[in-house]
Amino acid sequence: MARRVPAPLILTLAFLVFLIGLLLVGSLLVRSILTESFADAEQTRAARIVAADAMRAQLDEETGVRGYAATRDPILLAPYYEGMASLPRLLRRVRAAVETLRVREAVPLVDDAADTNRRWLARVANPLRAGKKRGHVLQLRGKILIDRFRIDMGAIDRLLAQDARLGDARAERAIAWANVFALGAVLAVAVASALFTIQQYRLGTRLEQERAKSEQQRRRSASMRAAFEAEKRIADTLQEAFAQRVLPELPAVRFSATYVPATEEAKIGGDWYDALQLSQDRVLLSIGDVAGHGIEAAVAMNKARQMVTSCGLVDPTPGSILECVNAELIADGSPMITAIAGVIDARTFEFAYAGAGHPAPVLLEPGRRARFLQVGSMPLGIDAGAAYPTHRVKIVPGAMLVLYTDGAIEHSRNVLEGETLLLEAVEAAAENRADDPAKAIRDGIFSRHRVSDDVAILTICFVEPVATAGAPNAAALRRTA
Amino acid sequence: MSSGNSITTIRLSGELEISRKQEIRDALRRSSEDRAILIDLADVTYADSIALTELLRFCVSAQREAIPVALLVQTPQFARVVEYAGLAGAFKTFNDRDAAFTYLTVAGKE
Repeated sequence: MARRVPAPLILTLAFLVFLIGLLLVGSLLVRSILTESFADAEQTRAARIVAADAMRAQLDEETGVRGYAATRDPILLAPYYEGMASLPRLLRRVRAAVETLRVREAVPLVDDAADTNRRWLARVANPLRAGKKRGHVLQLRGKILIDRFRIDMGAIDRLLAQDARLGDARAERAIAWANVFALGAVLAVAVASALFTIQQYRLGTRLEQERAKSEQQRRRSASMRAAFEAEKRIADTLQEAFAQRVLPELPAVRFSATYVPATEEAKIGGDWYDALQLSQDRVLLSIGDVAGHGIEAAVAMNKARQMVTSCGLVDPTPGSILECVNAELIADGSPMITAIAGVIDARTFEFAYAGAGHPAPVLLEPGRRARFLQVGSMPLGIDAGAAYPTHRVKIVPGAMLVLYTDGAIEHSRNVLEGETLLLEAVEAAAENRADDPAKAIRDGIFSRHRVSDDVAILTICFVEPVATAGAPNAAALRRTA
Repeated sequence: MSSGNSITTIRLSGELEISRKQEIRDALRRSSEDRAILIDLADVTYADSIALTELLRFCVSAQREAIPVALLVQTPQFARVVEYAGLAGAFKTFNDRDAAFTYLTVAGKE
C-alpha cells in the first residue's frame, strides 16, 4: 500500500505556517509602532525640558536687567548675559524639536517667542541697561513682552504635552494590538495542538485497524495453508492408496484404472473405484463419487466403498448391493453418493450392474461405436425407499467396458460435450490398443481440458479370442465355448 | 417463488453449483401452503452433485407428503444430467411448460 501524507496533516501544517507568518508580520508592526512612539515620547520630553530652559533663560535675562536697573550693580547682569548667550540656542533646539515631532502649530509660536525676545532685548533690556529714564514705562512694556513670551512658551509646552498624549495613545493601541497578537498566538497554538492531537488519534486508530487486519489476514492465510496442506495430504494418501490397489487378474478379463486428484485442492476426496474377485470367474466392481470434498468426503467415500464390499459378499446382485448400501448410508446420515455396482462374470461374459445417480458406463464392442449403457436411479443416501434395478448386458469378446466418475465428463460443464469427448477417447484407446486403456482415455480427454474435479476411470477389457494368444486366453476361450 | 392456480413455481437458472448452495437452499424452501410445485429448471445448463443433492432432497420430501412435483428441464445437456442422476426416473420431468402445468393441475386436485 502506498504511503500518503494524510490531507488533514497537510492542512494543519499549512495553517501553522500561515499563523506563524501572520504573527511575525504583526509583531514586527507592533514593534515598529512601539519603537517609534517611545522615541517620540523621549523627544517630546526633551523638547519640553529645552522649552522650560528657554523660559527660565528669558526670566533670568529679565531678572538680571531689572536688578541692574534698580541697583546698577553690574554683578546682577550675570544671569542676563547667560540667558542671552543660551536663549537663541535653546529656541533653535525647540524649533528643531517641534519640526521633527511634526508639531507644526508650535513653529510660529517658537518664532514668535524668538521675535518677542529680540524685541524685549532691543526695546526694554538695552534701554534699561543704558539707564534710560522712564524706567517704569520700560518695565511695563517689558512685562507685556515677557508675558507674551511666557504665553508662547506655555502654548508650545501644551502642544508638546498634547503630542506626548497622542504618542502615548499610539503606544497603547500598539500594546493592545500586541496583546491581540499574543492572544491569537495562544489560540493558534491551541487550535494547532488540537488538530495535531486529533490527527495523531486518527492515525493511531487507523494503525490499530491495519494491524488488526493484517493479523486477521495472517491467521486466515495460516488456516488456509493448513487446510490446503490437509487437502494435499488427502490427495496424496488417496493417490497412493489407488496406486497400491491391486486389480484382479483374470485370464479373460483385464482391468486398468486411473485416478487423478483434482487440481483445485478444494475438490479432492470423494471419488473411488474398486474391483474385488468374488470367485474364480466373478469380480465385484464399484465406482462412485461422494458429493462434497475434503476429509469428510474422503471418509464417506471409504465407508461407502467398504459397504459395497460387505453388502456384495452377502448378496452379489448389484441392485441388492446398492439397496443395502443406501439403507446403511441413510442410517449413517451420509452425504449423497453416486455409484455403480457391477458384477463381471468371465465365464458367461455377462455384466450385471445397477446405477445410483452415476454417469452411465460406456460399452465399446468390436466393430461398433462406443455407447452408453442404461442408468437412471436415485443417488445413494437420499431416499430410503429408492429402488435400484439390476441391468444385465451380454459382453462379446474384444469389448471394453468403461466406468468413470463425473470429472471425466463435466470438465466443460456441458455434459453432452463431455460424453462425446469420452466416447471418442474410449474409441481411440481401443483403436490404438493401448496397454493401459484407462490412462489412454484419461489422456485423450485431458489433453485439452484441465482436471478440475477428481477423476477416476476403470476399464474392463474382455479378451479377444482371435487376436490374443497364450494359455490364459485359451482357457478363457474354452470357458466361453 | 410465485403462486398461481395453487401451483407454486420455483425457478432456478444457470449453472447450479456449490457456490450457490445457500441460494438454491433458500429457493427450495417448502411452505405449508404448497399444493403442487413446479421446479422451473428451463434455463439450467449444469448442476453439480451438491446442487443435485438439494434438488433431490426437496423432491423426496415433497413426495413423502404427497405433494406433486414437476421438473421443467429444457436444455439438452441438463436433461442428460437429470437422466443419469435419477431425477427423471424418480420424479415427473417435462420439457414442455404447459404439459407440466397440466400434470400439476390434475395431480394437485387428486
